[in-house]
Amino acid sequence: MTSPDISVLSMVQCFLLLAIPLTISYLIKLHIIRVTTDSVARMTVQLLMVGVFLTFVFDLNNGFLNLAWVLGMVTIATYTTIRNVELKMGRLLAPMLLSFAAANLSVLLYFNEFVLDLENLLEARYLIPIGGMILGNSLRGNVVGIGDFYEDIKRNENRYLYNLSLGASKYEALLPYIRKCLRSALRPTLANIATAGLVFLPGMMTGQILGGASPILAIKYQISIMIALYVSTAMSTTFSILSTIRTTFDEYGLVRKEIYREKKGKGKKESRHHCH
Amino acid sequence: MQDDIIRYEDVGISYGSKKVLSGFSLSIPKGWKILLKGKSGTGKSTLFKMLLGFEKPSEGSLYYRERPVDPSIAWEIRREVAYVSQDTDLGQGHVKELLEEIFSYRPNRTKMSREKLHRLMEEFELEEDTLDKNFEDLSGGEKQRVGILIALLLGRDIFLLDEATSALDAELKKKVADYFLQHSEWTLFIISHDREWERDGVRVVELSKNEENEKSRSWTNENSNAEPEKSMSRGMSKGRRI
Repeated sequence: MTSPDISVLSMVQCFLLLAIPLTISYLIKLHIIRVTTDSVARMTVQLLMVGVFLTFVFDLNNGFLNLAWVLGMVTIATYTTIRNVELKMGRLLAPMLLSFAAANLSVLLYFNEFVLDLENLLEARYLIPIGGMILGNSLRGNVVGIGDFYEDIKRNENRYLYNLSLGASKYEALLPYIRKCLRSALRPTLANIATAGLVFLPGMMTGQILGGASPILAIKYQISIMIALYVSTAMSTTFSILSTIRTTFDEYGLVRKEIYREKKGKGKKESRHHCH
Repeated sequence: MQDDIIRYEDVGISYGSKKVLSGFSLSIPKGWKILLKGKSGTGKSTLFKMLLGFEKPSEGSLYYRERPVDPSIAWEIRREVAYVSQDTDLGQGHVKELLEEIFSYRPNRTKMSREKLHRLMEEFELEEDTLDKNFEDLSGGEKQRVGILIALLLGRDIFLLDEATSALDAELKKKVADYFLQHSEWTLFIISHDREWERDGVRVVELSKNEENEKSRSWTNENSNAEPEKSMSRGMSKGRRI
């Protein structure tokens, strides 16, 4: 490990950098001072807690505990996805939880077994951070995928009903909508894959290089993780749509109006720009 | 006595506190041609939508081939009845792809006939290259004819036509009406303001606005061959079994 330690003093110096955007906000009345301090405070507390917990979890390195941690992340990711798409939890939470768990855990375990060739599949040091990356990407894909799907159904309901009137089954009539939203869900991940290394050094690679790994090893990790992200996002979005369709449409094949939540105007953008 | 294909019994629907339709009764035996008329907002399209399971009546009952419409009957109706919607936003992409999608549905897989398609296109004056055009780029009249074409290609013999000819010129309206009415075995339930549909053998049902008449009923004429509109008299007979 060659990363230098960051002392408390250094952290304080880092926070001092925030004076720049805060000054700009003050001078030209951007009104983001409050948001900035809130967000930074929230991030600091969240990460501090994660840091403490992870130290504990890594030390114990108990397979069950690690898996429970990942399942906790799955729950939060699912919950956040639904929160962000103007839909109500009721009929969506259970099918989406199952989809997220099935898609992301299977890719995660496959990755640990066949790519990293770990002796202990549930090794905390790999399971948790890689699980987090996979889930984060799935979350973003699903916010777009599930969000677009249900919005499109609502907006173009006439077309959907027309297809039903022609004798289409629910799945036949929904297929064009499914295709369209899967494409938009996967587009950002595909764009990231296609531009990897050109625009920015991806997070995982940066971390490995900082940690002292050779650039070649770092890119091998990066390539594998990007493939895993793509696959898990594709799987989880597909599963989510197919499984929620079972609960969100009634026996006449009509979308249940009660799943839609009133728009609040905020929230939608929040989760789209986590970085990986 | 022949079984009815479609029967409404005292059907009503309200949205919240607003009553759109109430006490509507009508029987349609096989082979009958019914023209439903009435001002907009009287719930004409809603009657079609109820049959297709897109709306649920708040009162009364609805029968298809003598069985009350429930989810499984609604799915059956969607496989057996051809519906032309008032809304011409049928889909997107090339007309050809739209047709391919529709005829990939399980009940329609064997129904597509190139020969029939071209014959109908010629009949309704659609250019050959319409198939290669984007559906959304077509004119209102062309979209409407594509909708009619699809309904006819499905090879079904019960039709729900909701303002199917509204955007066509007089000559085409007549052609379409002629085409549908020449098939005596077809059961037609038509909503239209076009006079081209009013002829011998077509029974006119007038739907009055709910506010005008608290207990609005639909009245049908006893003598459908004589000037359908004028023979419409309120209080003669209730719409069922005309």
